[in-house]
Amino acid sequence: MAQQNNPVLPRGVTQATFEKALEAFRALLGEENVLAQPSQLTPYSKVMMSVENDAHAPSAALTVSSVEQVQGVVRICNEHKIPIWPISTGRNFGYGSAAPVQRGQVILDLKKMNRILKVDPDMCYALVEPGVTYQQLYDYIEENNLPLMLSFPAPSAIASPLGNIMDRGVGYTPYGEHFMMQCGMEVVLANGDIYRTGMGGVKGSNTWQIFKWGFGPTLDGMFTQANYGIVTKIGFWLMPKPPVFKPFEVIFENEEDIVDIVEMLRPLRISGTIPNSVVIANVLWEAGSANVRRQTYTTESGHTPDEILKKIQRDTGMGAWNLYAALYGTQEQVDADWKIVSEAFKRLGKGRIVTQEEAGDKQPFKYRAQLMSGVPNLQEFGLYNWRGGGGSMWFAPVSEARGSECEKQARLAKRILHKHGLDYVAEFIVGPRDMHHVVDVLFDRTNPEETARADACFNELLDEFEKEGYAVYRVNTRFQERVARSYGTVKRDVEHAIKRALDPNNILAPGRSGIDLHTYNKV
Amino acid sequence: MTSSRCKATWKWPLLAASLPLSFCASVVQAQEGGRWSSGALLYEKVCGHCHKPEVGVGTLLEGRELPPEYVTYIVRNGLNAMPAFPASFIDDESIRLVAEYLASLQTQAIQP
Repeated sequence: MAQQNNPVLPRGVTQATFEKALEAFRALLGEENVLAQPSQLTPYSKVMMSVENDAHAPSAALTVSSVEQVQGVVRICNEHKIPIWPISTGRNFGYGSAAPVQRGQVILDLKKMNRILKVDPDMCYALVEPGVTYQQLYDYIEENNLPLMLSFPAPSAIASPLGNIMDRGVGYTPYGEHFMMQCGMEVVLANGDIYRTGMGGVKGSNTWQIFKWGFGPTLDGMFTQANYGIVTKIGFWLMPKPPVFKPFEVIFENEEDIVDIVEMLRPLRISGTIPNSVVIANVLWEAGSANVRRQTYTTESGHTPDEILKKIQRDTGMGAWNLYAALYGTQEQVDADWKIVSEAFKRLGKGRIVTQEEAGDKQPFKYRAQLMSGVPNLQEFGLYNWRGGGGSMWFAPVSEARGSECEKQARLAKRILHKHGLDYVAEFIVGPRDMHHVVDVLFDRTNPEETARADACFNELLDEFEKEGYAVYRVNTRFQERVARSYGTVKRDVEHAIKRALDPNNILAPGRSGIDLHTYNKV
Repeated sequence: MTSSRCKATWKWPLLAASLPLSFCASVVQAQEGGRWSSGALLYEKVCGHCHKPEVGVGTLLEGRELPPEYVTYIVRNGLNAMPAFPASFIDDESIRLVAEYLASLQTQAIQP
């Protein structure tokens, strides 16, 4: 292939070497699975971050269909020192989508590995390949009338369970802390070895998806948000579908109510009375996901004034904070828990309870109830229409589930966003002891000036939160190195020691979570 | 570790053959690459989650007779918040099928 057809090359790789690698990939995978034409790479290049797509452009993409092909790819990468960026479905919107962390990395697209290997309705688990989507798994469970329920993030229909678990994503059911529910994974290491975690290495074992820990060191977590291997199978536990599901919302009128909400909620979460990953969404999250658009209220640039937020509340009946939770179990269990929960809210003296019977098909209640009961939808993408223009970056600091802390974080985030002319669009999620404080930094990516503001804003959010002892649990590919620095040098030394041991040629996603033997110089 | 040492530890054919694969008997047949069996199915499982009239997130598409070339361009490039999809997720033939299917539907009067 002529040089002009490869305008992007992997870091430190010459055109000639790259050509040799492409030839080897073609021999292994077939011409149709080695994508190097710009038009073929376009779908992998689109990001929602505050940089041009070009900053994260891949040099090529490989589509593979088997573990053996993945092994073959890493063999070629070792030989030619080609860095690869594995994706399952690449639907990690607002965290980097499919594009690599560093320009020029070769995407290893695992979407074609999309077999549901096993769903056990007795032991309540699934074992799947990377390309399986939640929608695919949901359809399988429905078609086979299995008494099981999924937990997934908002982009459920098109996202991959494996990808979400590997990024330590969250969902909205009692199984919403997804990595906690993971059990057993198969990893292709950089040297081509196939490593199965937990009980997976025991010949003839039938407990790979049953018992997490196995014997000796338990390494599953080491492969999440990391670049030590390519996960080709993952097991995870599924919740039995309950006979009764009771979703509800509690609407709070004032921003400062967040303190009382969290204080009231924490004991109910820690005791398990409310079992699921409760969400507390602010008015703009609520409005955006219900298709309210900013241009209906103002066309002025900058942040949306509080008076408008109050007007949205008056117009729609939404709260400054909107709590969504659900109860699961037999009718007797749900009735007993509902009595405890509803009386706790009544004692609080604020908050208006809305049940499913009262909400009917109204959004956003409907999609929230679907997410809490494992029914795929993409309604929350309405958020992207609030401001429009396709810019979105998730700022997700971890907070104690303590009212004063949540309020402090909310005020700090709002102040910084407003300083940069952007809106505070946020929810608190998960618990029981922590809150993922998830802020969608929305901006018009077609406007370079607004994009530059969003970039500066995100940097300032990271800096100012760090000064208060806060850090994010996950971040998009533009800020991976920056966030890695927040967690200290000892952690980074250990991570790079592991990298040197497992991937000495630095071929697997260098730069992921700031782990890159080429740039990390500390010895 | 040098690359030569990496080569020395290369042993995938042996390992792959020795791993327990008893679960393969229950493997569920999956969609073949990015090929969808019909435009209606693709719309139901992917596009419609945003573009159906009752959802109101994406632009209405039903009954608009958008040329397959245009639909292909948008699916491959994305548009603002709409994500781009590679052929491994939705192949060219499937895009043609969904474009045909959308053109066959009744036009929706209200734009979100």
